[in-house]
Amino acid sequence: MTGASPFSYDRLLNTVAAWALALLWILPLAYAVWTAIHPAAYEARFDLLAPLTLENFVKAWQAAPFARYFLNTVLLVTMVLAGQFLLCTLAAYAFARFTFPGRNILFTLVLLQLLVMPDILMVENYKTMRLLDLVDTIPAIALPYVASGFGIFLLRQTFMTIPRELDDAARVEGASALGVLWRVYIPLAKPTYLAYGLISISHHWNNFLWPLIVTNSVETRPVTVGLSVFSAIDSGVEWSVINAATLMTSGPLLIAFLLFQRQFVQSFMRAGIK
Amino acid sequence: MVDAMLASTGKPIRLEAVTRRWDETVAVDALTVDMAAGSFTALLGPSGCGKSTTLRMVAGLESVSEGRILIDDEDVTTRSPSKRDLSMVFQSYALFPHLSVAENIIFGLKVRRVSRSERDERLQKVADLLGLSQLLERKPGQLSGGQQQRVALGRAIIAEKPICLMDEPLSNLDAKLRHEMRLEIRSLQQQLGFTMIYVTHDQVEAITMADQVVLLNSGRLEQAASPRDLYQKPASPFAARFIGTPPMNLIPASALNKTSGASSLLIGVRPEAMHLQDGGPVSASVRAVEYLGADLLADCEIDGAPFQVRLPARRTVVPGDRIELGFEADALHVFDADTGRRRDDLISEFGALTRS
Repeated sequence: MTGASPFSYDRLLNTVAAWALALLWILPLAYAVWTAIHPAAYEARFDLLAPLTLENFVKAWQAAPFARYFLNTVLLVTMVLAGQFLLCTLAAYAFARFTFPGRNILFTLVLLQLLVMPDILMVENYKTMRLLDLVDTIPAIALPYVASGFGIFLLRQTFMTIPRELDDAARVEGASALGVLWRVYIPLAKPTYLAYGLISISHHWNNFLWPLIVTNSVETRPVTVGLSVFSAIDSGVEWSVINAATLMTSGPLLIAFLLFQRQFVQSFMRAGIK
Repeated sequence: MVDAMLASTGKPIRLEAVTRRWDETVAVDALTVDMAAGSFTALLGPSGCGKSTTLRMVAGLESVSEGRILIDDEDVTTRSPSKRDLSMVFQSYALFPHLSVAENIIFGLKVRRVSRSERDERLQKVADLLGLSQLLERKPGQLSGGQQQRVALGRAIIAEKPICLMDEPLSNLDAKLRHEMRLEIRSLQQQLGFTMIYVTHDQVEAITMADQVVLLNSGRLEQAASPRDLYQKPASPFAARFIGTPPMNLIPASALNKTSGASSLLIGVRPEAMHLQDGGPVSASVRAVEYLGADLLADCEIDGAPFQVRLPARRTVVPGDRIELGFEADALHVFDADTGRRRDDLISEFGALTRS
């Protein structure tokens, strides 16, 4: 028996490659952290003993209405998530447990939505928002995303794994169709809701292009757009302040990632099933 | 022993020509059965005979293609399950995995907005009755099969519904537990007085528990009768062979008695109804012998027709022997192979023939 040899080139290469990629990946973030907590003079100069400062954060916070941007983003993300949970749950329940004429065609259309890049529809969406007189409002950013084909698909698959007999039992015990959904399906699909919620929040927190197009005032801009407006100032690029602002805006997501790391990875694994 | 609080009075159920069809296949074909209030009815049959479908139609979980279902003389054919005032125990128990035992049991009461104090009071009673008091905080996943079964029973009886439906509730238990639960379910039903419909493919369960056995075969009613009648007077060759182990011997009349011209008749005698009798009317050759301890099961042959006889174990019979057998005249069954019906009018005739 040769067994597991203590030294193997394959393993060594794997480890080295993993570390190299990881370092490459973390470099921008490390640089952002480095410049954000040091005075501007150290932007391009590495000195372990450089003085630490929080001044960049203060400067960034004061330079742009980030508090307002944060509020906007939180409102946006909450709105999208609430809309998605409501609509996707109802649609997924209908697709999973009811038979009605045209069900398969409708579900195919929902699946087709997964193939369409949202960016393609941007002009169309803008026209719709104009029609609804919603341009430059937070609902305008949220509306195109509240009915998510992916969410419907994910929840439908989860609902379909729930044994039919549980549904029957709840109905014999007197629960209505919506009662069964509320008391049986939703509680049993909790892990899926968590995973999907994490994906949705991270996606819409980071969404940039559509909010950039549809908003043009401080009252509606989410942090991503606010940050880009902020970093595009003409008076020279001050990396330390920009990076401090960037860290600030992505901070909540980073914390959420650290807290829900396991579910986060799982959710993307689930997302890969599609 | 049971307080008045948990006692319910059953309601009669009547199926009138109930039919269930899926496209071309007929799962249940014009089934008409009466179930008396407070009685225990077993729906019995091989798998795929439509017994579960029938139960689900009574529950309202399956729609009825034709015919009517009456509960307490009210037509409930199109009513939703929750409006039929019944409870159900499923084969898989269908316990909600995210709820504790207590929450599972009071699920229906909660849905129906019964007050908390009454819920707690009833839960206490049911838990005591079924010996679940120590387990109320557990999740179903932490229980054994037998305990899960009790929780499912608890959920079914707590609301004191006049009707309880059970779909093969014991099929996931081991033999010993199954026997215990059989007695327990039967005594529970008698104590609480609800009308029970119990689906099973196990004839022993049906015979031992039920007041009335409804025997189904490929969607059609073979016979609805008390266990005793079903055993003693099976209405068809199918019923004759389905009830009793080993099954009843059915041989063409021509093989038994050459003088009989009616070739489409089948003569049935149960293996346990035959005994060795020198000079008896039936003479057979033994092909194989199974030793069962208390008795012997001998595979015999009469004119090419296979035949089983249960004999006392003290008699030694070996393959190749010729034995002569007799039986009482009332152990004889005659069926018409063409119509599949029982021909009681011919029994005395054949009885006389075989005796002569």
